[in-house]
Amino acid sequence: MAKKQRGKTTSPSKTAHNKKQAEDFSLVVESSDDEAPEEVTFEDSRAEALRSMKQALDTARREKELLKEKRRRRQELFQEQKKRKLLPADVLEEIDSPSPKKQKQSEDEAHEEQQDDEEEGEGEEEQGRTKKKRSGKLAHSRNLKGNYTVATVKERGLASFQQQAAQDFIQSRLYGPGSGRTTSNELLSLQNKKGRNKRAAVQFVKKDWACKEKAKAEKLKKRWIHKQQVPSC
Amino acid sequence: MNRYRFKGPQRGSRCFPACGCGSEESLVTVDKKNVKMGEFKVHRVRFFDYMPRAITAMAFNSRYERLALARAGGAVEIFNFADNYFQEKVIPGQDSRAVEALCWVDQRLFSAGLNGEITEYDLENLRPRYSVAAYGGPIWTISSNNQGTMLAVGCEDGTLKMFEILEDRIQFQRNLDRQKGRIISLSWHPSGKLIAAGMMDMIRVFDTETGHATHRMLVERGVGTCKSKEVVVWSVAFLSDHNIISGDSAGKVQIWDGFTGTLVKTHLVTKWDVLSLSVSQDQSSLIAGTSEGTVIQFQFISPTVDQQEKEWVRTRTFKNHTHDVRALAHTETAVVSGGMDTQLVVRPLLDKVDKNTQESALRKIAFPHRSLVCCAKKAGLLLFQFPEHLELWKLGESDGHGKPGDSLPVKRKPEKLIHLKRKGVDHICCSALSPCGGWMAYSTVSSVRLYRLQYDNNNISITKVSKLPKDLCSAHQLCFSSDSSKLFASSIHSSVVVVALNQLECKHLHTLKPKSGSRQPVHLLFASEDGKWLATANTGCEIHVYNLDKLKLHCTVPVYSSCPTAIAIHPVTGNLVTVHADQQIFEFSLAQKEYTEWSRRLQKRGLHSLWLERDTPVTHIAFNPRNPAHIILHDMFMFCIIDQSLPLPEAKTVLHNQMMLRSLPEPERIRHSHAFKICKNFQHLLCVSLLEDHSLVVVERPLMDIMSQLPPPVRQKKFAT
Repeated sequence: MAKKQRGKTTSPSKTAHNKKQAEDFSLVVESSDDEAPEEVTFEDSRAEALRSMKQALDTARREKELLKEKRRRRQELFQEQKKRKLLPADVLEEIDSPSPKKQKQSEDEAHEEQQDDEEEGEGEEEQGRTKKKRSGKLAHSRNLKGNYTVATVKERGLASFQQQAAQDFIQSRLYGPGSGRTTSNELLSLQNKKGRNKRAAVQFVKKDWACKEKAKAEKLKKRWIHKQQVPSC
Repeated sequence: MNRYRFKGPQRGSRCFPACGCGSEESLVTVDKKNVKMGEFKVHRVRFFDYMPRAITAMAFNSRYERLALARAGGAVEIFNFADNYFQEKVIPGQDSRAVEALCWVDQRLFSAGLNGEITEYDLENLRPRYSVAAYGGPIWTISSNNQGTMLAVGCEDGTLKMFEILEDRIQFQRNLDRQKGRIISLSWHPSGKLIAAGMMDMIRVFDTETGHATHRMLVERGVGTCKSKEVVVWSVAFLSDHNIISGDSAGKVQIWDGFTGTLVKTHLVTKWDVLSLSVSQDQSSLIAGTSEGTVIQFQFISPTVDQQEKEWVRTRTFKNHTHDVRALAHTETAVVSGGMDTQLVVRPLLDKVDKNTQESALRKIAFPHRSLVCCAKKAGLLLFQFPEHLELWKLGESDGHGKPGDSLPVKRKPEKLIHLKRKGVDHICCSALSPCGGWMAYSTVSSVRLYRLQYDNNNISITKVSKLPKDLCSAHQLCFSSDSSKLFASSIHSSVVVVALNQLECKHLHTLKPKSGSRQPVHLLFASEDGKWLATANTGCEIHVYNLDKLKLHCTVPVYSSCPTAIAIHPVTGNLVTVHADQQIFEFSLAQKEYTEWSRRLQKRGLHSLWLERDTPVTHIAFNPRNPAHIILHDMFMFCIIDQSLPLPEAKTVLHNQMMLRSLPEPERIRHSHAFKICKNFQHLLCVSLLEDHSLVVVERPLMDIMSQLPPPVRQKKFAT
């Protein structure tokens, strides 16, 4: 009973706990009074039982509804994401039109043939759209207007992620932090310095090396010259 | 950097052009060799950005003397060590095939990679025969027992899987006890009863019969900052005396007692990783490859003369690489190493071979032994073959004139016309361009693609020929006829498929088959200028010539023991010229079906010793339309014009006499000239060809350009730099 004497500022859980303790205590007190147990009528207990059953059913139903709601919301979210993932209609139209891919634009332009290696079969061909439908390999393809096939990116299975992780492991062990690496520039410069005819570091020997550093050096030189000229005028 | 082996002037400073060439430019120089050879305008091409791939694994088959090598990208190459280290076969790679280990079982070759599959290769058809998924995640290592009955693979998930080797496939047998960490390396005990496996921080010994792990040896981590990083046991070797040798990422080579599971000796060999180990057949010598590029040899000898006890003593250190050495093979007489600097180095051990002979020379194989450049003579176009794409370039033009050694101003720069990416996941194994430049073809292990090229004014259009005959499914070598009316594709075993080309379609004409029924692939094809003959050579050293008018076999050249590396038919005389891996040259008359008189004279005189000592093969033969007595050959370091009208050099004649001849007055020159005119101005030659306008095209790939693009090497502090 001492616990019950605590102020109202105690937390609800504590009060509940206290109450329970009090109840227990009171029960214990009551039973210690040698009184007869309470009389509970049959009606009351039946009502009680029915109520508790109904409550259980209610909670079960509510839970089911909640889950259903959750599932429905998630499905909607996925639909939305899927819609977003598909290419917009105008891009699909552009793919459709036979653009002259292999025309050389101007003398100095190199032209790249876009070989879409995400598609399993004969996707984009220069000789017009393919009417071929490859069975078996294209798992996620659908026909829009029946004239060409659009295939989604091939599923990269678990194997490729593991392979990537293994390659990353080697990369990090050999080239990661703590591996003590340097650049090819330094290696070649060292060879120059230790060679029979000693030469300067490679970025000074070869014209097309270290372009950025050379540009920076040029700029600095110009700035210095300008600075020197300013006090004179 | 590669140094050319001869004692003569290396890259004579006088002949070497003073102008530096940018990789995108094509400078044209005029180079006069001597009065007889004539002047050539030379297109010096350096815009072929060929980049070799790093070597990731190696395995030597001592019975058949073949070395199998795997590169990043999945390509597998076979070198014939008995035939002047010729690169006999190349199996192209595939996008996701990252081979980490190779293993020979008798004549069969298996590989295991990070894609989790074990692949067996068909060495007759140059493609994977089948792949079996191990379902253990990425596979790090594969090894077979001495008896050749079981294959063990070490996987990422910590399992050691045992596969039974059957006649035409492998079958999963069982897993040994699964471990907590990944299994990076493994080695069978010669008896086949135990396996040592290198993992992270430890080495485990397994009993193959029960499948249980018996010993666990803990490997010490590195010092200092490396203490927090796990140490990776990159390689282990199980010796027959039950000693286990391990190489780890802390730079140690350790020797363990396999019976008790205790450490016997530690050798700290490097500050960086010890990536690979290899033990000789007789187990008396061991080599370790490091990230520094060194290969360290240990020998099982008694340290002092009177002592009977033998132990592993560090003997030699070889520094033949600039980057990490990821793969090693210890043959009976040599140390073979390869790694991130992409070069294959064979270092013969001087206690096993005679000193100062051809046998004892260091060999560095940096470039493929086949041509990756196709030149369209009539159109002035070049086709470059990369593993994953093709590039078509038009050569530049210049109409200046000048003295020999000058560089001429370029009127029109060379330009890249087409960049064609290959379809699918397989890499390109061969490609060809027709002489007129109107047709282009390439092949992978799964398909052949043919394209029609059309030019009008400044535009080029490329159209794929969609319906190809079904016999044309994959080729090891492709070749167009000189009038571009036919395409020849070498197919299964030694057959050649002939396909007729015309504007609209291509039809299968015939499949040519040799009588010998050889199962080896054809690696060289040459169609004669007049369209009458087709010469083929296969890796079984057989050379067959077919008559294209009758579409049947005309003759078979007598088999020479060395594999042919280049073949060609002379446009005027109709003679077949062949060059072999041991540098021998033969000329065979197709009309008479016998060796020509010149060829017999050459054989009788014998080739000059300096010629025979060259260590790179001739990959291309061309002819000079202006002078039918000329044969133009090239290897990696030189190109040579053989003048059949001049006397053959004697054994004691100076072979490289061009510079000397230039300094002599005219009448003297004729007395001293001999048939072999060698020019070493251009180096790391990938192709030398003559165009129809009599200008020479020289495609160079300077080694420096390759070295500058390699991954980072380790930082070494050198005194006084």
